[in-house]
Amino acid sequence: MENILFKDNVAEIEAYFAGGGYKPLKKALGLKPADVIDEVKRSNLRGRGGAGFPAGLKWSFISKDAEGPRYLVCNADEGEPGTFKDRELIRKNPHALIEGMAIAAYAIGAGHGYIYIRGEFAAEAELLEKAIAAARAKGFIGKNILGSGFNFELFTHRGAGAYICGEETALLESLEGFKGQPRLKPPFPAIKGLFGCPTVINNVETLAAVPAIIEKGGDWYAAIGNGKSAGTKLFCVSGAVSKPGVYELPLGVTFRELLEKSCGGMKAGKRLKAVLPGGSSTPALTAEEALAVKLDYESLAAAGSMLGSGAVIVIDDSQCMVKLLQVLSRFYHHESCGQCTPCREGCGWIEKILNRFEEGRAGRNDIDTLYSVAEGMMGRTICPLADAMAMPVMSFVKKFRAEFEAHADGKTCAKAP
Amino acid sequence: MPTITIDGKSVEVEKGTTLLAAAQKLGVYIPRYCYHPKLSVSGNCRMCLVEVEKAPKLVTACSTEAAEGMIVRTASDKVKAARRDVLEYLLINHPLDCPICDQAGECGLQDYYMEYSLARSRFKMADKARRQKRRAVGPHLVLDNERCILCTRCVRFCSEVTRTSELEVMERADHSYIDLKEGKALDNGYSLNIADNCPVGAFTSRDFRFKQRVWFLKKTPTVCLGCATGCLMEAHHNENTIYRLMPSPNAETNTWLCDHGRLTYKAVRAGDRLTKGVIKNGLIDLEPALREAGARIDEARGAVAVLGSPWLSVEDNAALARLAKDSVKTENYCFDFASEPGIKDGILINKDPAPNTSGTGLVKTAHGGLSLEELSRRIAAGQIKVVLAEARAAGLLKDTLKAAAPLLVIFAANKGEIPAGTYATLPYASYFETPGTFVNYQGLRRRTAPPVEAPEGVKPLWAVVNKLAAYSGASLQLDSAEDALKGIVFK
Repeated sequence: MENILFKDNVAEIEAYFAGGGYKPLKKALGLKPADVIDEVKRSNLRGRGGAGFPAGLKWSFISKDAEGPRYLVCNADEGEPGTFKDRELIRKNPHALIEGMAIAAYAIGAGHGYIYIRGEFAAEAELLEKAIAAARAKGFIGKNILGSGFNFELFTHRGAGAYICGEETALLESLEGFKGQPRLKPPFPAIKGLFGCPTVINNVETLAAVPAIIEKGGDWYAAIGNGKSAGTKLFCVSGAVSKPGVYELPLGVTFRELLEKSCGGMKAGKRLKAVLPGGSSTPALTAEEALAVKLDYESLAAAGSMLGSGAVIVIDDSQCMVKLLQVLSRFYHHESCGQCTPCREGCGWIEKILNRFEEGRAGRNDIDTLYSVAEGMMGRTICPLADAMAMPVMSFVKKFRAEFEAHADGKTCAKAP
Repeated sequence: MPTITIDGKSVEVEKGTTLLAAAQKLGVYIPRYCYHPKLSVSGNCRMCLVEVEKAPKLVTACSTEAAEGMIVRTASDKVKAARRDVLEYLLINHPLDCPICDQAGECGLQDYYMEYSLARSRFKMADKARRQKRRAVGPHLVLDNERCILCTRCVRFCSEVTRTSELEVMERADHSYIDLKEGKALDNGYSLNIADNCPVGAFTSRDFRFKQRVWFLKKTPTVCLGCATGCLMEAHHNENTIYRLMPSPNAETNTWLCDHGRLTYKAVRAGDRLTKGVIKNGLIDLEPALREAGARIDEARGAVAVLGSPWLSVEDNAALARLAKDSVKTENYCFDFASEPGIKDGILINKDPAPNTSGTGLVKTAHGGLSLEELSRRIAAGQIKVVLAEARAAGLLKDTLKAAAPLLVIFAANKGEIPAGTYATLPYASYFETPGTFVNYQGLRRRTAPPVEAPEGVKPLWAVVNKLAAYSGASLQLDSAEDALKGIVFK
């Protein structure tokens, strides 16, 4: 099928426009905002940042009666290890995002939008700035857009390097100029978001899908994919495959198809051992589980994992799962904001236990301690960062326990170089 | 008004009530660290997690509002496991230096560990995170970052109550620590409340540190006399020595206590505390001092002025009024102290520095007397030969007294209070040593309760007045403080 998001040669506004770009915006501005939201609801478009929350439903949470300004925020703080789809999407198709934001802003009645972009994406931030300027020059952003009377200003804001700022309320704190720490919910951003005003926060990929939905209709989009998991998804594949990269495929595609058709199979001489299907924080699947699974929200949940951000990390049998987990734990230990007790203390503890495994100082009882420390963090914190650490730990220990035992017994990592 | 069920007991609460407050109403205690009723909710410690039927996860009782029909469990296995785990996380990097920690005995970690955990440590000693220990932050506090559980009560206190925002959480994860912001010192005038608010031994009072184990302390509820606000507080004492003053939170006046008020007890055992009388610069026993002062007053009689004091209790002021009217029989007495009361800093400290201006007014109503201006005028005009006054009240007429130079007979508890040129000084028991009635700026009548005894030979002021009366005129025959109160009407 034809790509919806990943199109070639549309980065410049003239090319985007020539291909029918910004016509959906014109169409949307001719509809009532509530009808735009209904169209997106009908499309079954779900949040592509990781949680998979229905986008139209999220938009509908903004009360029509709310006084004062409302805000639309695009989460482009792509920080989940293994995830590099939003950056590619911004490079290839920035106007789909800008147009999607203008439509979303119209739907929720927001006069201002912010693209919070990861600090390291300096080139992409600059690219977006130029694209926004071009859109403004054409009257797609700014005052009285296309003569509709609708005003929408759009700004970019670069993050300062914290993973936690990808969590939507930490992002808002950071955008307001505070230390990036998740807020206690409720109130949710739809009630009290940016600067205390009703706010919608969507991922880059979610917003970029909106113009096509408005153009071709929610029913058209809903028919793509696999039931409740509608539409296409950007899968960013990394690890031991022949052709790692970002691939746009309908949701519900099998992992086997993604691996064999899109990625050209495993690298020569490598055998598949495990897959993290949705980014570093999603539970691992064994090779057998992965080869049997469809990549969509429901199928991966049924398999005990998550679609997450669509970052498919492919692990071959030359990799040590303990070492891999140690590397992951160092990341989460470093990135925990330190606010909630279980995450602040648990992430550090997990890294220290894994260091002992790698340094030959661990015993078999440490395996159970490791598991229970992770278990104790699950679902007990303000934001899901603790879960993001705990889920890989629990799945690694459950599914690859033998490797941990070998470390404990042999006091060494068998796969160490 | 939603009705909810907590541990099988049903309760109706106001809309917006949190589960923690609803449970409290039922007498169900939910453990907490970061929650404080007078600070914003931060929900970071995770100690108050409870189970709500149909909720996918445990929720924080401090932040979750009661909704109609909610069924809450605070003692289920899930909740118990969460508390045990949270305590384990809190304790892994804790230094466990309880034997040398002032907080021991009133520590949230110790108490909850005994109540909700009792688990053996699984954490390797060598892996403990090290942080900075025992650092003075400001004039009154020591900070030990290793003991800190990062509940941020201190940070919120400084940003929400004093609005001085000295503190911040630096860094992230388990290398987070509380620190002063660049260029700040913790000297906001309320800093000792931070030691009270700290649920562990991270912030300790420099004044109280290492002075006494808390389990030896006895607690006497009393009133702060640091200003007209009249905060309720508790004196913590042992073996006739006060070790610290702590606020007694109440709806009428105060949750906190200012640093000035909190250190008022220091005067009781200060090096300059008076236990004897002073004639000119020489210390003599109370009895001869009284005889000498009495003789001077007796000589002057109609040219004697008696000045009441807003720093003294209603009883002691009443005794002074009786002395002037019934014993010395002079018309030169004054209980007229105007003030413009009101909280001056938006927190607790009053514009009126004296604790009993309102109470002194009651004595004036009962006994009349001159206005302060009139008395001052008479002194300046040389009509007054002897002035009998409490030291701080005498300070109000400082310039007039200096110029006219009448003979000064002063009541003082500490040598430092005695005005220059005083002829005779009579010691009296402080209100940490004797009861007294005070009326605060809101008109609330409050009584001090003595946690300690006065030094040997030092008597309450009304009793000193009673003795003085015998030497200077007709006897008053006061048997108790209450005897002096005849004619005084409390509103």
